[in-house]
Amino acid sequence: MRFVLSRVGQAALVLAAAFTVAFILLQSLPGDAILIKFESPELGLSPQQIADIRQSYGADVPPLQQFVHTVLGFLGGDFGYSVQKGAPVLQLLAEALPETAKLAFSSIVLAVVLAVTIAFLSTRAHFAWLRAFVRALPSVFVSVPVFWLGIVLIQVFSFQLNLVPVIGASPLQSLILPVITLAVPISAPLAQILVRSIDEVSLQPFVAVTRSKGASENWILVRTITRNALVPTLTIAGVLLGELIGGAVVTETVFGRAGIGRLTEQAVSAQDTPVLQAVVVLSALTFVVVSLAVDLLYPVLDPRLTKRAGVTV
Amino acid sequence: MTRSPFARVTAVSAATLTLALVVSGCAAETESSGSANGEPVVGGDLTYLEYQPHTSLYPPAGGFYPNGALVNNVTDRLTYQNPETLEIEPWIATEWEVNADATQYTFELRDDVTFSDGTPLDAEVVAKNFDTYGLGNTELALTVSEAINNYDHSEVVDADTVAFYFSAPAPGFLQATSTINSGLVSADTLDRSFEDFGAGNSTEIIGSGPFVITAETIGTDITLEARDDYDWAPASLEHQGRAYLDTINLVVTPEDSVRIGALTSGQADYARYVQAFDEEQVESSGITLYAPQTRGVNNSLSIRFTNPLVSDVRVRQALVAGINREEIVETIFTDNYPVATSSLSSSALGYKDESALLTFDPEKARDLLDEAGWVEGSDGIREKDGVALSLDVYVAAPQPLSQQTLELASQQLADIGVQLNVKAADSGSYAADIKDPLKTPLYHSMVGRADLDVIKSQYHTKNRNTLLSDDAHLDELLELVAGEADPDTRLERSADVQDYLAEQAYVIPLFEEPQVYGAAPYVKGIEFESVGRPSFYDVWLDR
Repeated sequence: MRFVLSRVGQAALVLAAAFTVAFILLQSLPGDAILIKFESPELGLSPQQIADIRQSYGADVPPLQQFVHTVLGFLGGDFGYSVQKGAPVLQLLAEALPETAKLAFSSIVLAVVLAVTIAFLSTRAHFAWLRAFVRALPSVFVSVPVFWLGIVLIQVFSFQLNLVPVIGASPLQSLILPVITLAVPISAPLAQILVRSIDEVSLQPFVAVTRSKGASENWILVRTITRNALVPTLTIAGVLLGELIGGAVVTETVFGRAGIGRLTEQAVSAQDTPVLQAVVVLSALTFVVVSLAVDLLYPVLDPRLTKRAGVTV
Repeated sequence: MTRSPFARVTAVSAATLTLALVVSGCAAETESSGSANGEPVVGGDLTYLEYQPHTSLYPPAGGFYPNGALVNNVTDRLTYQNPETLEIEPWIATEWEVNADATQYTFELRDDVTFSDGTPLDAEVVAKNFDTYGLGNTELALTVSEAINNYDHSEVVDADTVAFYFSAPAPGFLQATSTINSGLVSADTLDRSFEDFGAGNSTEIIGSGPFVITAETIGTDITLEARDDYDWAPASLEHQGRAYLDTINLVVTPEDSVRIGALTSGQADYARYVQAFDEEQVESSGITLYAPQTRGVNNSLSIRFTNPLVSDVRVRQALVAGINREEIVETIFTDNYPVATSSLSSSALGYKDESALLTFDPEKARDLLDEAGWVEGSDGIREKDGVALSLDVYVAAPQPLSQQTLELASQQLADIGVQLNVKAADSGSYAADIKDPLKTPLYHSMVGRADLDVIKSQYHTKNRNTLLSDDAHLDELLELVAGEADPDTRLERSADVQDYLAEQAYVIPLFEEPQVYGAAPYVKGIEFESVGRPSFYDVWLDR
């Protein structure tokens, strides 16, 4: 319990730090969203009109005052307005989050399936050439740019073969290609770690013991080796979340999907501070929650860790 | 195990195929009933691909193309600018009167027009529209429309007569009533703040136009549906009554290759923003290109002459003579981008040919620079008093292929010993630095707008001021364009400005900018308003 409490406390600290650093960085960028939006020549506003707008947005109040205002707003659940889109940030996030969650969750599931398939084939496939081929896959996957993969998948499966439409697709159809796009680069490090851990664990004496007791190779792989190999894999899975967020930005833009990634991309190019501030906090929150969950899962997978955790805390 | 996902994909595609067959079956039926004789067919859904998401439906913000495309189709205007002749014709206003010095306008309105929420479009609400667009509303953060100058107040004469008064001559007002920026919206809509016109509120923006926005997913798609009871198209149009299409699905596809691929593979019917380098591929796959001109200030480089490096007219003339605009257009663009022959487009109102002052002549450019005291240094760059003739210019994201254009210009200028540094920046630094003539002695921009005031908008110190000018004489000339009541004299005043800009070499005009669209051959009746935003009213599907 003390362990959980201290982890939650750390999480809150991380969030506060992420918020503050993001605020400082966004404030110190040259220009701001109002400048970008309202001084765009398409509106042709006079300097006086622009000054009025700046005032009505409270753009030129001292940074410290803005900081206090923003912190209080966030604590009260008010994330402010997107300058660029003119909509409340909360509404934008609420509309975008389910889309990204669907994409992210499906991609992780597919990535895990891919990684496990690769790991399994690379140890259990009958032909040496097949094992070698499968072992080479992760290095290929990890070096494929998400952007390029997305475009190639669209060109081939949608535009050439007409298998899945990109425009006017049903919710399920619209997930297929983006999920593959995002899953491939995420599956790569997962598979690499899994393969390496399986290799390492296979050499451990207890595996030999199990084998000598007459267990089948498959039984050994699934029940003995994989269970032990999962711990390092789980650690990397937490870190991969960053990959997922970055990948979502590209994937959603290429596929024209609504979502947090798309929102971020647009907010970055318009320097839409309120949106970016909220996105940073949201990402930090996700990171914190996932790593907390991973930490709490370790002892479940590996009872040896419970003892160690008890000692250190 | 590996077979099942595959089977699912096939099942999905089979379902899509069946659906496609059903859809094409329906289309085939309508085809036999109507299009055999080329008559427009009522019905059908159009998928339209937009390049960027819209940001606001406040009509004065309609200059941004994604905004304008929506506002143009959900609102009507008092008057209609014929896109071919640029003449102003009746629309919601059946007739109008203007006093001699253009300070008072009276409009007679149709009495049968309603907004899509059922409220009548009468003199009262028209007055409220123009009071907002002419004066702004600080409390709601609603800005003044760029197209309206010197607005004072309105007067509701009776239910279908409204008068507008101006504090100084406003000869541009009649044209202004025809633009997207003056789209008429309901009284309730005008009570919204600027934010409430933004994305996410689109279905609540009420106009009287042929289409109504019925659904929106922020940043990705918008559904427009035709109004069955629409019966007040501009009187001069052949087509009256409701729009032909039932529904328009507008999908935002920022990625070029996806937008173009969806169009050429038949997943979409109509798309905005076909880049110059994609035109050939798009046409060869049977797509029809449309390239309406934007009829305003050409795509050009403004020379910020308050920067000491370019304060000498001879240096500026050398820059103009040192840039080979034909080569730029031939190398980077297509026939849809004609070489500019003045600061204004040849399809703009008041255009005057200045090509004699814009010839590419590197010899002359070198002589002018020699004369002005800039001598070639050891690295090939000219110098004077130890200062190099090195100029910075930012890649302008809104301009088509800005980076390629500027890089080619930079190579051309290197030939005459001028260094042009093409810089790219984030939008924040860009927005800040382009206001400083020392940081950006050259500025890449254009304005699309089919009225005489456009030149003043671009160059007057109180408007866009792209020259960051301190030239009072230029301001004076520009004010004469905007303040003269007589239409013919206005044309002459506009020519004066173009003469002056060319003589002083304040501007390097590059090309006349179009908006390039692609549409499948069965999409008929494609029209644009006078500045190249799509009008869906006449569009019908011949398939």
